[in-house]
Amino acid sequence: MTGERYDVAIIGAGVVGCAIAREFSRYRLRAILIEALSDLGGGASKGNSAILSTGSDTPIGSLECRLVTRGHERYRAEAPGLGLPILSVGSLTVAWNEAEAAALARMHAEIASAGFRSAELVDREAVYRRVPALAPGAVAAVWEPEEAIVDPFSTPYAYALDAVVNGVAFRASSPVTAALHDGEAWHLATPQGPVAAGLVVNCGGLWGDRVDALAGFADFTIRPRRGEFLVFDKSARQLLDVVLKPVPTPQYRGVLAAPTVFGNVLVGPTAEDVDDPDDWRVTGAGLDRLRRAARAMLPALLEHEVTATYCGLRPASERPEYRIVARPDRRWITVGGIRSTGLSGALGIAEHVAGLAFDGMLPAERKAETIPVRVPSLLEGGARPWMDAARLAADPAYGEIVCHCEGVSLGEIRDALASPLPPRSLKALRRRTRAMFGRCQGFFCGARVLAELERHARRAGRAAQ
Amino acid sequence: MTVLEADCAVVGAGPAGLAAARAAVAAGARSVLVFDRDDAPGGLPRFCRHPGFGWEYSRRLETGPSFARRLLGDLDPARVALHCGATVMSLQPGPCLEVLSPALGLATVRCRGVVLATGIRERPRAARLVPGRRPERGILTTGQLQQMVARGVTVPGSRLAVVGSEHVAFSVLLTARHSGHRVVAMIEAEERPMSYAAVAALARALAGVPTHLAARVVDIAGGGCVEAVEIEQAGRRRTIACDAVVFAGDFVPDVPLARAASLAIGRATQGPEVDQLGRTSLAGVFAAGNVLRAVESSGFAAIEGARVGAAAAAYAAGRIGWRDGATPIALAPQFAYLVPQLWAFDDGGVAALPASLRAGQDLAAARIGLRHDGSLLWQGRKRRLLRHRRLRVDLGELARRGPGAIAVEAGSWRAISEG
Repeated sequence: MTGERYDVAIIGAGVVGCAIAREFSRYRLRAILIEALSDLGGGASKGNSAILSTGSDTPIGSLECRLVTRGHERYRAEAPGLGLPILSVGSLTVAWNEAEAAALARMHAEIASAGFRSAELVDREAVYRRVPALAPGAVAAVWEPEEAIVDPFSTPYAYALDAVVNGVAFRASSPVTAALHDGEAWHLATPQGPVAAGLVVNCGGLWGDRVDALAGFADFTIRPRRGEFLVFDKSARQLLDVVLKPVPTPQYRGVLAAPTVFGNVLVGPTAEDVDDPDDWRVTGAGLDRLRRAARAMLPALLEHEVTATYCGLRPASERPEYRIVARPDRRWITVGGIRSTGLSGALGIAEHVAGLAFDGMLPAERKAETIPVRVPSLLEGGARPWMDAARLAADPAYGEIVCHCEGVSLGEIRDALASPLPPRSLKALRRRTRAMFGRCQGFFCGARVLAELERHARRAGRAAQ
Repeated sequence: MTVLEADCAVVGAGPAGLAAARAAVAAGARSVLVFDRDDAPGGLPRFCRHPGFGWEYSRRLETGPSFARRLLGDLDPARVALHCGATVMSLQPGPCLEVLSPALGLATVRCRGVVLATGIRERPRAARLVPGRRPERGILTTGQLQQMVARGVTVPGSRLAVVGSEHVAFSVLLTARHSGHRVVAMIEAEERPMSYAAVAALARALAGVPTHLAARVVDIAGGGCVEAVEIEQAGRRRTIACDAVVFAGDFVPDVPLARAASLAIGRATQGPEVDQLGRTSLAGVFAAGNVLRAVESSGFAAIEGARVGAAAAAYAAGRIGWRDGATPIALAPQFAYLVPQLWAFDDGGVAALPASLRAGQDLAAARIGLRHDGSLLWQGRKRRLLRHRRLRVDLGELARRGPGAIAVEAGSWRAISEG
C-alpha cells in the first residue's frame, strides 16, 4: 500500500476528531482527518443534549472530569471567536423527595470540594422563582450558573473548518478497512485510496474499538448506549430558561429538560444499551417514557407540539471512563469511550492528546500565524445576514427566506453549499443551516431545499468533469 | 428602508388571501398589498393538479392550479399589488408589518387593515410521534410530495405508503398517478376512512390501493432512504415494503406570526380567535381561511376570505370599529369548536363569516340550536354527524338582534358508539 504520506492521520470526524484536527493545525505538520461517513459529525456527535457541562457531573478526580472542565474553559474562551453561540442559562438539579434531597446535599458537598465553587444549594422557593412552570413537589435543587447550552452541529463543523482552512486535509466517505505498520508508517486502506501516516489518532467513536482491532489493539469494547430525545416547538421555550436535571444515580444521569440555542426545548435522553452501533431508532416505549418525564417535570410542555424526535448513541465502553491510550512505540493513540461528554470535553481532550503526541511521537513546531475562521451563527434571535442592510442590499438572496420555520434564506443555503467543507447530504445541509429542522419538517420548504441541493450536485458534477 | 402604505395588506396568497384582496377592492379599498412567502401565488391548491377545488366559492369544480388562476385573474392590478417571495417577519400594533423579500429588501408596511391568511400545514412524522428510523429521504408530508412533483425534484423510488385517509390522502393517489409512483398502502388509525365514503370508494376503484384501517405505524426501516414501514393492526404486525412514507392530513393552522404578535389563539382551533367579521384580538388585524382552524375546503376558505376582505376594507374606510362588546358564543360540550368564537353586535351591516362548527365526537340523532338571551333563533336536525365534517348552524339571525348572551346548544345527542 502506498499513498500520500502524512505526519498524523486522525480517524473519525466527530466533535473529538475535529477538535484534535484543529489542535494539530496550529503546528507545522501534515495532517489528515478521515471520516467513514459522507459528512463530519454524523455519528455520536449528532445526537446529544447540546449542553456545555462544567464537568461537575462527571466522576470527581477522573480524567474525564479534568478534560471536561478544561474543555468547558477553552470553549468559553475560543467558541465566540469561531462564531459559536454560548447561552449560560445555568442548570438546576432538582430533588423531588427527602431521599433525593439528601443525595443532592451529598452531591453538592462533593462537587463544591472538588472545586466547582459556583454550585449552590437552593431552596424550593428559589427553584420556582427560576422555573415557575415546574411541576409541584420540588424540594430543593443545586444551581449551577456556569452550565450552558451550545450549538452541537456547528461546533464540530467550526473545528473541522478551522482545521481545513489551516492546512489539514479532510477525506469523507472513507471508512478505514485495514491498518498496517511497515516499520516506518501506518498504511490505512480506505475505499478512496490508501493513507500513510507516521502517527494515527483513533477517534472512531462508536466504531473506535473496531478501528483499534484493525491495528491489533483490543483494550476496550464499545457498548453503544442509545438515548432518545423529544424536541418541543419554539412556543414552549417560554416555559424554560434553565437546564432541569434529576438527581443522578451512579448508573444513569436521568432525563433532563433543556432549552436549545435554536429556541426549542428538548427532553431526553433515555438510556438503553444496544449491540448495534448503527441502531438509530426512536421507539414507542422511549417516546412514551420521555413524555412521562416531560409531564413529571414541566406539565405544560405537553400542550406544545413536538418538532422533532431523534436518538443519539453514546460511545460508552465497558468502564465508565475515558479510554485514552497512547502507544509511543506503535505510533498510535486511541481516544475511546468518550461516553456522553464529547461536546463539552472535546477541546480539553484535543489539548491532552496533542500533549501525548508531542511527548516524543511528533515534533511540536507551532505556526506563527493561523487563519481565523467563523461559522454563521444559528442562534435563535441572533444576527442573520438579512438584518444587515448592507449585506442584504449587496446580495438579495439573503432576503429570500426558504425555510420559514427556522428563517433560513436562499443565500445562507447557497453559502453552506459553497463552504470549503460542503454538506454532502441533506442531513448535513440541515445541520449546517437548520433548513427543514423546524416544526414543519419540510412541508413548506422541503421541495425547494432539495431542489437547491440537486442543483448544487449537478453543478459540482459538471465541475468535476 | 422601504416603506409601503396601503388601505389593506393581506398575508398569504392562497384561496382566502386572494379572495380577501378581491373583496377588499370591491368594498372600496383603494390599495391592497398581498404578500406571499412562496415564489408564486396560489397557496396549497397550486400544487394539487387534480379536480376538487373551489366549489363553494365559484360553483365550479376545478383543479387546484386552475382555481388559483381564477382567483388571481379576479384581482384588479390597478388596486392590488402582489409580492411573492415576500416573508412577513413581524406583525406589530398599528398595524404594521415588517416584510423581507429580494425585491423589496426589508420593508415596513403601514396599513389600516391586515388580513392574516397564512393557512395550514400538515403535522409531520415527528409531531405524530411515529417510531422507527429516520432515513434522510422518503419521510414526507402530502404538501412536500406535491411540491416536489410540481418542482421536478426527485421523489425516491416508486412505492408510496400513505398514513392517513382524510381527503388529502386521496390527493396523494392522484399526485402519484401523475408522477408515476404507486401507492402501495393507505394506513389509517381510525376504523373507517376519514374522507367521504364516495371519495374513498372512487379512489379505491381508481387505484386499487390496499387500505389498512385501525392500523398504526410502529416502525420505519431504512438508512439513506425509506425501505419499509411496519404496521400494527389488531395486535398483529406486518411489514410493507415502500420507498417513501407520506404523512397526510392532520392539518394545523400555521400561526407563528400570529403567536409572535400575541394574538389570542383558540385552544380547540389552534388558530386566531375571531368575531364574525374576522376581527382578532389585535386592532386592525383580521384573519381568514384555514388559519382559523384546520381544515375546511378551499372554496369555503375563499368565501371566508371574501367576507373578511370586505370587513377589512370597511374598517380601513372607518365604516366599522373594533369588536366593541364582542360576546363569546357559548358552545355545548359536544362540540369541538365554532368559528367565529365571538359575535360583535356592531357589525355596521357587513356580512358575517359562514359558521364553521365541528362535533367533538361522532353523534346520532342530533339537534343543533342557536339561542340568544334564551330564545331559540335557529335550529337544525341531523340523523348522523361525524366529527370530521362541518355541521350547519346559521348565525345570521344574530345580526338582527341587540347585545345578549349567545349559545349554540346540542339536543337529543347520543354517541354513535353507544347507539
